[in-house]
Amino acid sequence: MWFGIALLVIIVLIILFAVGIYNRLVALRNQVKNAWSQIDVQLQRRYDLIPNLVETVKGYMSYEKGTLEAVISARSQAIAARDAVEKGGGPTSKSIRPLLGAEAALKQSLGNIFALAENYPQLKANETMQRLQEELSSTENKVAFARQAYNDQVMLYNTTQQEFPAVLLAGAFGHHPVEMYEVEDKAAREAVKVCF
Amino acid sequence: MNFWEAQRKARLRTMLYVFIFIALTLLVATLSEFALRLFAADYYDSSFPLFGTAFLIVTVAVAGYNYGMYHQYGGGYVAESLGARQILANGSDLKEQQLFNIVQEVALATALPMPKVYLLPSKEINAFAAGLTRENAAITVTQGALTLLNRDELQGVIAHEFGHVYNGDMLISMRLAAMVMGFFFVLYLGLRLLQMGRFRSRGSDGKGGNPTMIAALIFIVSGAITWFVGSILKATISRQREYLADACAVQFTRNPNGIAGALRKIAKEQYHDMPQTGSAYAHMYLEDHSSIFATHPPIQKRIAAIENTPG
Repeated sequence: MWFGIALLVIIVLIILFAVGIYNRLVALRNQVKNAWSQIDVQLQRRYDLIPNLVETVKGYMSYEKGTLEAVISARSQAIAARDAVEKGGGPTSKSIRPLLGAEAALKQSLGNIFALAENYPQLKANETMQRLQEELSSTENKVAFARQAYNDQVMLYNTTQQEFPAVLLAGAFGHHPVEMYEVEDKAAREAVKVCF
Repeated sequence: MNFWEAQRKARLRTMLYVFIFIALTLLVATLSEFALRLFAADYYDSSFPLFGTAFLIVTVAVAGYNYGMYHQYGGGYVAESLGARQILANGSDLKEQQLFNIVQEVALATALPMPKVYLLPSKEINAFAAGLTRENAAITVTQGALTLLNRDELQGVIAHEFGHVYNGDMLISMRLAAMVMGFFFVLYLGLRLLQMGRFRSRGSDGKGGNPTMIAALIFIVSGAITWFVGSILKATISRQREYLADACAVQFTRNPNGIAGALRKIAKEQYHDMPQTGSAYAHMYLEDHSSIFATHPPIQKRIAAIENTPG
């Protein structure tokens, strides 16, 4: 009799525990999704700004056609990679790598345009250009900050899955570690070198 | 700078000071209760600690009243009452648009709701956050900051203000200010009681301890002590929160050069034209002038803390 009650209490406790873990994991997964959509909003904003930039620059930089075309093609590749991520319902280890590469290429080609623009004083003085430059660098920052927030959420989600006792149930509930959004930033790595 | 460690330390110290604050209130309430029983035993011998309770009730009530008054006004009210103008999205001025963009960026970095943005027509470099909740916060920046700081420095300043919002500092300092006001009210009550006591003693035979006089003196002494020590404690806590906000600014932007550069420019400038109607708000400003009651630590110490703390 007492053994039966004790067993029942233990089973109820285990179920309650499992429900708690289940709910926490679901909440964390939703936070990861939300953090991703914050990145997505900013990526989209950048894709929207680029045609305006090309239009503005065109009139001044007719000789630098190659640079402009590079930006346009980098943009469409980035959009394709982003859409592939969206189709998978969020970033996976497979879909996130092409996006990272495409975004890096896009950032590089945008940098080229702004570097070239330094040679065209009239373009630099153009108010639309100044505005676009501000908007693009702000969007750049927003992508970086949204990425930080996303990575923090991913770390929390992954850690929670790997902790005992959640590790026993996470797989069964359909939770798997999520890839972080990390940027290969060569310039940042090189800057760590210390000179004496 | 190791911002996590710096933040942990600043939080611990604040807890310590708040604890001292509460202990101080209770101590003075108890001490005056005993003093009254000792010196005016003929008149005051109730079994219940009436005086101590009254002291606590008066301080808490006055603090609560002031706190309620502050609470009615969102951060935008404070900014507007100082003569600031709200900045909206898609404004015509490029610099103002940049300010708005930076606030959006830091809001993203902190995952806080987007606050209202205000511009104050002062020439000195300064900024403050107002509003008691994360939802009704407002961040105000001076025209001087907009003109003289570069983008990274402005971002550092905005991130510092976001640090105050993030840590709930406006709430803490309003509560402390309300408590100090409560202490002051006890002192004031004692002074009024003294006047009353004098007036009355002229009518009586004037023999021995007048209970009103004794109560008045105890009110004055306990009010003065708590008010004085409370003011210093409040300033000390406020200074700790500044270090904390600096550490948060580095955390949010991952760029110690932004806020440090801004502080350097502030240290060099000569303008001091922040609205003084708002001296009640001085604790919220990015920088304020030093004294024992100063709400901010010396600027050089802040720069040193941001740059030199081994990370």
